[in-house]
Amino acid sequence: MLDTHALVHDFLNKLKRRKIEGSKGTAKLTAELLRTVISQQRIPNTNQAGALVDAIKAIGEQLVAANPVELAVGNVVRRVLHIIREEDLSLMTSAIGGPSLSVISDDENDVDRDDYPVLSAAAVAASARNALRAPSLQTLLEDMSHSAAVHHSSSSVDDSEEKTKSTDKNSRSRKLKHNVIETVNELIQDIAACHEQIAEQAVEHIHHNEIILTLGSSRTVIEFLCAAKEKKRSFRVFVAEGAPRYEGHILAKELIGRGLQTTVITDSAVFAMISRVNMVIVGAHAVMANGGVIAPVGLNMVALAAQRHAVPFVVLAGIHKLCPLYPHKPEVLLNELRAPSELLDFGEFSNCMDSSTGTGFPLLHVANPAFDYVPPKLVSLFITDNGGHNPSYMYRLIADYYSADDLVLQRKPAS
Amino acid sequence: MWWRSASFILDKNDSFLRDDSETRLLSPPPSSSMAQTLDPNLTISPYYQTRAAHHGVVTSDWLAQAHAAAGRDTATPSSEPEASLNSIGSDNSFSVIDEFNNWRKQPDLAEAVAAIRALASVIRSSQATTMMELQNELKTASDSLKSWDMTSISLTAGCDLFMRYVTRTSAVEYEDFDSAKSRFLERAENQALLLQARKIIAMLGQDFIFDGCTILVHGFSRVVLELLKTAAENRKHFRVLCTEGRPDRTGLRLSNELAKLDVPVKLLIDSAVAYSMDEIDMVFVGADGVVESGGIINMMGTYQISLVAKSMDKPVYVAAESYKFARLYPLNQKDMVPALRPIDFGVPIPSKVEVETSARDYTPPQYLTLLFTDLGVLTPSVVSDELIQLYL
Repeated sequence: MLDTHALVHDFLNKLKRRKIEGSKGTAKLTAELLRTVISQQRIPNTNQAGALVDAIKAIGEQLVAANPVELAVGNVVRRVLHIIREEDLSLMTSAIGGPSLSVISDDENDVDRDDYPVLSAAAVAASARNALRAPSLQTLLEDMSHSAAVHHSSSSVDDSEEKTKSTDKNSRSRKLKHNVIETVNELIQDIAACHEQIAEQAVEHIHHNEIILTLGSSRTVIEFLCAAKEKKRSFRVFVAEGAPRYEGHILAKELIGRGLQTTVITDSAVFAMISRVNMVIVGAHAVMANGGVIAPVGLNMVALAAQRHAVPFVVLAGIHKLCPLYPHKPEVLLNELRAPSELLDFGEFSNCMDSSTGTGFPLLHVANPAFDYVPPKLVSLFITDNGGHNPSYMYRLIADYYSADDLVLQRKPAS
Repeated sequence: MWWRSASFILDKNDSFLRDDSETRLLSPPPSSSMAQTLDPNLTISPYYQTRAAHHGVVTSDWLAQAHAAAGRDTATPSSEPEASLNSIGSDNSFSVIDEFNNWRKQPDLAEAVAAIRALASVIRSSQATTMMELQNELKTASDSLKSWDMTSISLTAGCDLFMRYVTRTSAVEYEDFDSAKSRFLERAENQALLLQARKIIAMLGQDFIFDGCTILVHGFSRVVLELLKTAAENRKHFRVLCTEGRPDRTGLRLSNELAKLDVPVKLLIDSAVAYSMDEIDMVFVGADGVVESGGIINMMGTYQISLVAKSMDKPVYVAAESYKFARLYPLNQKDMVPALRPIDFGVPIPSKVEVETSARDYTPPQYLTLLFTDLGVLTPSVVSDELIQLYL
C-alpha cells in the first residue's frame, strides 16, 4: 500500500508542476497508475465493486484537482470507474444465473422463499441496466423495488449455499479484479494505438490535389497527413505558425521531411488564405459532451473563418480526449494562462515594468491563454479511433464509455 | 401551406356562412361531465386554467368562467345517477377526475405526480381481488383522465408511467395480491417523487449561472424557480429579467418570488425582449412538454424569445423533468392539440374581431442550446434516444 501511495504522490507532483505534456501521455500514465492501484487494493468480500469504486474515486479526485485543465486525467479515471461497474455487472448476471438453478432443485429451502421467485437473468439484467442509467421518475418508481429484490435474491442464494458460496465469493472477487485489470490493459493499448487508428481513416477524407490547412502542431495531424501521403495522395498543406509557441514551424519541418509540399503562413493570414483551402484539419486538447472543442489558442478564429467560407472543419481526437462534462464557461474555467515571456522579452520591456497607475497597478499586462473554445456548431466532423462522427453524436459515445454516476468525482458524505 | 396563399380567401368566405364557434374552437371531448359540452365557451384548456390559478393573478373574465364551471360541477352530482347507469365504472372515473383536480390545485405538485396520486386513490378505493381486475380499473381511470384533458402532456405521461410500472412489476415479483397493492400505494405516495427531480435539475443547471450574469426568464416554471433558488443559495450573484407573460401575467408572480430571494429583478413587457437581448447572457425557460425532435412545447412567447436569442447568439436553456418527454412530433405551430386560454383585454372587443387564444407554441430544436433534466444535461439531439429508452 505504501508503494502505491508513493506512486500516486509522485504523479500528483508531476501534474501540479505541468511536467507531463500532451493528453495522450497523461492519459497513458494515469491508466497505468490506476491499474497499479487496483492490483494492490485489498477489497472486502462483499460489495467488491463498491470498494474499488470508492478507492479509485478518492485518488481520481486528487488527480483532477492537481491539474483541472488537463481533462484527460478525469476522462481516464471515469473510464476505469465505468469498466469496474461493467465488469461487476457482467459477473453478477452470470453468477445469479448459475446458482439460482440449484435453488429450484432444493425444495426445502424453496418453501420459505416463495416471496422471491427465481428472477430470470433477463429481469436481473434489466434492473441492473436501470441501475447503470441516470435517475428518472421511472426509475424512481421502479428502481427501489427492483434493487431490493435483487439484493434479497442474492442474499437468499448466499444463505442457502453458505459453504459453496464462500469459496465462490473468493473466486468471484479475484475474478472481478482480474477482469478489471484485463480491460484496463486494453484501455492502455487503445490509448497507445489511437494515432494509428485515426490515421487509417485519412484516405477516405483527403483526396487528390487538395489543400489542407492546419494550425500549430499536433502528433495526430502529422500521422494523419503522412498516412494519406503513404497511400499516394498528392496534396498541399498550409501551416499557420501558431504564435506564440510557433509550433507550426516544427510541423512544417516534419512534413517536408516526409515529402509533402508545405506553405507557412502567419495566424493573421488565415482569413485571407481560407478561400483557397479545401479542408481544415486540426487536433484537439479535449472534446466536451456537447461537441465543443478545447483546442490550442487561435483555432476558434480558424473555425469562424472556415464557417464563413464554407470550408469543412475536421477535428481529430482520440477517445481518451472525450470528456463527459458540459462546459459552462470554458473560456475561463478550462483555460490556462501561460508565461508572458513567450510574448514579450523581459529585457526590452524592463522599463515598462516600473511604471504604474496612481493606485500602484502596473500599466503593462500580458495575457497568454493556452486554449480556445470552439462551439459545436462550427465543427463539421470528429474523427476518432472508431470512425467519423457528428458533434451532436458525442452523447452516444459518452453513454458507451462513461457511467452517469461518475460525473462527479467527489465522494458523497455518508448520509 | 394553403392558408398562406390567396386561395384562403375562398375558404374564408365559406366559413362566414357556417357557425364560427364550431369551426374555430375544437373542444376536447370530455367523457364523464356531459353538461360541459353544452357550453361552447368552456373549450379552454383545463391545464392552463390550473396553471393560471397557481399564478394567483386572475382576470375577471376567467374568474367568471371558473365560477360558472364550479357551479356546473356541483350541479353534476345530481346528474350522476344517469351517468352511472350508462357506464359501469363511472363512479370511479368521476372521482378520479375530482381527485386529480384536488391534487392538481396544490401549487407545488407536479402534474404527473398528481396523476399518479389520483391513480393511487383508485387503487385504494378499488374492490378488485385479482391483479387483472385492478389493472383494468386502472386502465379505465387512466383513460378517462387522459381524455378529460388532452392538452396536458405531463398528465398523459404520468398516467402512462404508472400503468407501465403496475403491469411490469406485478408480473415479475409478487404472488400475494394484497402485498402488491400496498407496495403500489407506497411507491405512488412516496414523498421523494415530489422534490427529487426538481432538485437534480436545479443542481445541474445552477452550474451554468456565473457571477454577474443576466438571465431572461419566460413563464412561471417551478423548476426554473427552484434552479434560481439553488443558484442564489450557492451565493451566485446574478440578475433576472422576467417577461410580463400576458395573459397569465406570470412575470408578476415570478418577480414576487425572486424578490423574496433578494435577487435583483426587472420586469419587461413581452415586446421588450429584443430590445433587452443585448444585455442578456442566457435565457431560461421551463417546458410543458419535450417532443421527439428535441424541441419544446411551452407557454406562448417562448418561440419568439428563442428566435431572438438565436439571432443574437445567446444560449437558451430548458429545464424539464424527464416525464415531460412525449412521443409527439409537431411539424409546425398548428400541429398540436389546440389549448386555448381566454384573454381579457380590459375593454370589450367587437364580435367581428378574431382573437388568437392559443396558450402555447412549439420551439424547434435548433433554437435550443441545452436541456436540463433529471436524466442529466442533454443536447436536443439526445432527446429521441432517451425517449426510446424511456418507453422501451
